[in-house]
Amino acid sequence: MSNEQEQLRIIQEVIIDGDDDESPLVVQEALEVGIKAMTILNDGLMVGADEVGQRFESGEYFLPELMLTGRALKAAMNVLTPALKIEQANEGTESKDTGVVVMATVQTDIHDIGKNMVSSMLTASGFKVIDLGVDVPIKTIIAKAKEKNANIIGCSALLTTSMPFIRDLLDLLGVMGERERFKVMVGGASVTPEWTAQIGADGTAPNPIEAVNLAKQLISQQREEA
Amino acid sequence: MFSYHDIMDRARSGPYLTEEDWDLTKVVKTTRKLVRKNKLAWNPEEIVTDDPGLADAIFEAGLELAQTIGAYSRTTERIIEFEPGELEEGLKRMPQTLTVGQGKDARTLFARKIMDERPPLVWAGTPGTPIPEELFLPSVTSWMQEPIVDLVTCGSLTHVDGREVRTADPIEIMATRRELQYMHAGLKRVGRPGMGMLAAQSAVSELGDLAAAHPDYLRPCDAHLIPMLNELKVDHRNLARVVNSLEYGMLNASLVCVIVGGLGGDAPGSAVVNVASFILGNLTSRADYQLLHPIHMRHVATTTRATLWVENIVQQAFARNAPCIIVTDVYPKSGALTRELLYETAANAIVITASGGHLEGVGSADGNLPNCTGLEARLMGEVGHAVTRQGMGLAEANALVLKLLAKYEHVFDMPKGNPGARFDQAYNMQTLTPVPEWQTLYDDVKAELRELGLSSL
Repeated sequence: MSNEQEQLRIIQEVIIDGDDDESPLVVQEALEVGIKAMTILNDGLMVGADEVGQRFESGEYFLPELMLTGRALKAAMNVLTPALKIEQANEGTESKDTGVVVMATVQTDIHDIGKNMVSSMLTASGFKVIDLGVDVPIKTIIAKAKEKNANIIGCSALLTTSMPFIRDLLDLLGVMGERERFKVMVGGASVTPEWTAQIGADGTAPNPIEAVNLAKQLISQQREEA
Repeated sequence: MFSYHDIMDRARSGPYLTEEDWDLTKVVKTTRKLVRKNKLAWNPEEIVTDDPGLADAIFEAGLELAQTIGAYSRTTERIIEFEPGELEEGLKRMPQTLTVGQGKDARTLFARKIMDERPPLVWAGTPGTPIPEELFLPSVTSWMQEPIVDLVTCGSLTHVDGREVRTADPIEIMATRRELQYMHAGLKRVGRPGMGMLAAQSAVSELGDLAAAHPDYLRPCDAHLIPMLNELKVDHRNLARVVNSLEYGMLNASLVCVIVGGLGGDAPGSAVVNVASFILGNLTSRADYQLLHPIHMRHVATTTRATLWVENIVQQAFARNAPCIIVTDVYPKSGALTRELLYETAANAIVITASGGHLEGVGSADGNLPNCTGLEARLMGEVGHAVTRQGMGLAEANALVLKLLAKYEHVFDMPKGNPGARFDQAYNMQTLTPVPEWQTLYDDVKAELRELGLSSL
């Protein structure tokens, strides 16, 4: 195994272990020995994150592993992002972010386990996620999505008596003339594909893995539409 | 015992921590450390455990978790810390008996033991299930009328007068009061007006809870929910619910819905978090009794192996180390008019009864659809009574639960679950009796349960 491969293997392991103390250090070491930032991202961090996603899906891993990996990834990206930008500037390659997602559990609802899982998986898949937390007023969600120039708004509600606020968010986007600007994905225990279509949202997913696939599809759609 | 002001003061002035750090550095890391230190593990083939050492170790780890990290206020982002000895003192003061309801219909809950000879009380209903207004009264009446039922609960109204119910909206007040009007009407109709209730389920926010604190609605002899949030968290909304009951006198059900596979990790860590939640909720919720409802991260239901195991071990842990009143939820994956619902209900009732809890349910179809009836509540109670009547041991209970799991576990692989049918398809709406197909399924499964070993059913 070459030094580069060995270094990438260490990065993968640190991400799989969800070690946010070590992850920026091993990325820094890899940069210092001359490994390209894009290689570190694609063949180190993302490979580790994919592995965690698969272990979660198979039932071997649980929520803590997913959240710790998300955190380790965030810490690693703090070191890697400046290097990536320099590298892309030097090579004249265009930076194409995976996408920006604003996530929130809507006002009056405080349930966040599902939303947190989706946030972690999206982060692990390279999305920039701005997670606003729980019980977030719909006006705040829209304002933050505009401020961060988000591609996607992700809304969650577990309670059937909070779900109407997701519909309100879509209505508000409509009357503000901003509906076309964002893709809106929705989730929660009682959210069904039928209800999603009925309120005019762009999609829902039954689990975090599918949510990532949906987010990728929505980004592609958005870029095609543009 | 310290005043409730102390809890509120600590929620305002405790050490600051972000919620993400609470989840990861406090709950996840401490729980993992305790699971590893105590070598806590579970065996999916031993759902009803006969291992006192394991129950004690789970209890000790849960107590250590509660002592080490305390609880967290989501509203103030402060840690609610407890002095050494305060939590233990709280455990010693937990009620051992509790009368719910009034007059001839009142029932007294008690701290059950492992393999207790006394039958569990049967608390029928589907707490939290969204129910359309037109089905509310008929469905609650369907379990209120069952002679085996001791206490009742209900779902939440989704609509009032054709309007969608929204949380923290003025309509929540109407929904909560309407729900309680239906509950009283149902109890009168079946001739049990004093029967105790866990209700005001339409009160998701403090608005509804405040609106229910009146003898015409939730009486002081009834119970309301004080949930602990996932994991080991409270917020001002829940503290307001406690304060609402301080002088009025409603009974506080400290509801803990630990996510199995969530921050606690696999079943043993989740059980540790559940024990800690009961210990802390005892003080933060001013608990009159504990309400146990683990939720499976993928399958939701309480009838998976992991959730059944958590119910079993948490009940045994408290029965052995800190006896208290535990009422435990039965929330199967399947819904009315399916055979699997009856198998799931029976398995869950056996686990709860053998390991020291009272029965509450049935939250059929994951408590997510109005696909629940009085018939499965009847079976839940009958199975619980049969377990105690025949003096079923832990190993025998486990063997029977494994046989039942083999009959229903496939429902967890069904892409759309096994929701069954709505109440009005499973019951005759005029006579409020099961439709013939539902009655036949019930009779068949009961006969099958007798053959499988529940001979006194």
